Amino acid sequence: MACVIGGIGTSHAPTIGIAFDKNWRDQPNWSPLFTGYEPAQAWLAEQRPDLFIVVYNDHLNRFFFDAWPTLALGVGASHAQADEGWGKRPIPDLRGDPDFAWHLARALVEDEFDPTICQEMKVDHGVLSFLPLLAADITAVPVIPVAVNVIQHPVPTARRLFRLGSAIRRAVETYGPDRRVVVMGTGGLSHQLHGENYGRVNRGWDNDFMDQLETTPEALTTLPIETWMERGGTEGVEMILWLAMRGAMGSGVRRVHRNYCVPTNTTGYGLLAFEPV
Amino acid sequence: MRDVVAGALVFTGERSQAGYRLNRMAMTLTDAASRDRFRADEAGYCAESRLTATETDLVRRRDWKGMLAAGGSIYLMIKIAGALGITLPEVGSHTAGITLAEFQARQKGG
Repeated sequence: MACVIGGIGTSHAPTIGIAFDKNWRDQPNWSPLFTGYEPAQAWLAEQRPDLFIVVYNDHLNRFFFDAWPTLALGVGASHAQADEGWGKRPIPDLRGDPDFAWHLARALVEDEFDPTICQEMKVDHGVLSFLPLLAADITAVPVIPVAVNVIQHPVPTARRLFRLGSAIRRAVETYGPDRRVVVMGTGGLSHQLHGENYGRVNRGWDNDFMDQLETTPEALTTLPIETWMERGGTEGVEMILWLAMRGAMGSGVRRVHRNYCVPTNTTGYGLLAFEPV
Repeated sequence: MRDVVAGALVFTGERSQAGYRLNRMAMTLTDAASRDRFRADEAGYCAESRLTATETDLVRRRDWKGMLAAGGSIYLMIKIAGALGITLPEVGSHTAGITLAEFQARQKGG
């Protein structure tokens, strides 16, 4: 039987990918980002995962508003990198896991979640920005991308994301072959990309959020979308995607690692690694 | 749901419909050849993308704040900016009604 062995919550700011590609490891404001990922990468390697299920959002790179899914799932054997408007990064495309992904699709629909099922799922920085910092070879472990709309309102509620995570866990636990699965929720933390508060970071909220995600996630699920935007910015609403990871952990977690830094003064960069208990 | 939160336009369905042409044009810039054609002949590219005269003028004037008010998605407007070699901090500052230098000074201050 497959089982969920861990969870990762991480920011997915495009600058993480730029920092990695340009190797800003020794720049004083960026080094805490790099050193912050190292313990998580070491832990992941020790866990010998067979699959990453990544709950993220597409930023108008795979989908457009002509047909914009609220929930979408990539079932292909590979996931190409999207050109986001400035050319592709020098990293390989990802491997998929069609057998597990179709199982996940069936299990989610049975559980009353209805994803758009994508045989071609180009992925953007929502999956690719941080992945090279978590895995030395990003093709070693296959990925199932699960894209959620957090851009065009109405967007799903925080509670819905938590329940999606619970449904992902049930799906994993009904997959016959032995597979060690890590679920990731990505996005945020606080950031505001436009308007009078452009560039605002809310360090207090980012850290409260990471505290609550660990110990009292149910409280987070009751917050209205407007509250997430007031605290973390209209784009910071992405933070609700971490609740899918938390929902997949079950009731209790053991925190393996946590990091928070603000290298650019425009976004909080968070990282959490959990094991279910 | 209010459609302005903490001074920022919320990207509602109504805004998405109003900005559809502008957003669709920006989406085509995820293709390298299209970016080249846009840079070579901006006005022609906007006409081919069936932008209105007002929308074309917003692009010509690099009026990012105006583009968002017209229903542009920030995630797509930065593709227009990127094709023109303009960075997110320049776009963001403009939407905040301040210059890039003013924004940078504000960030340093706190």
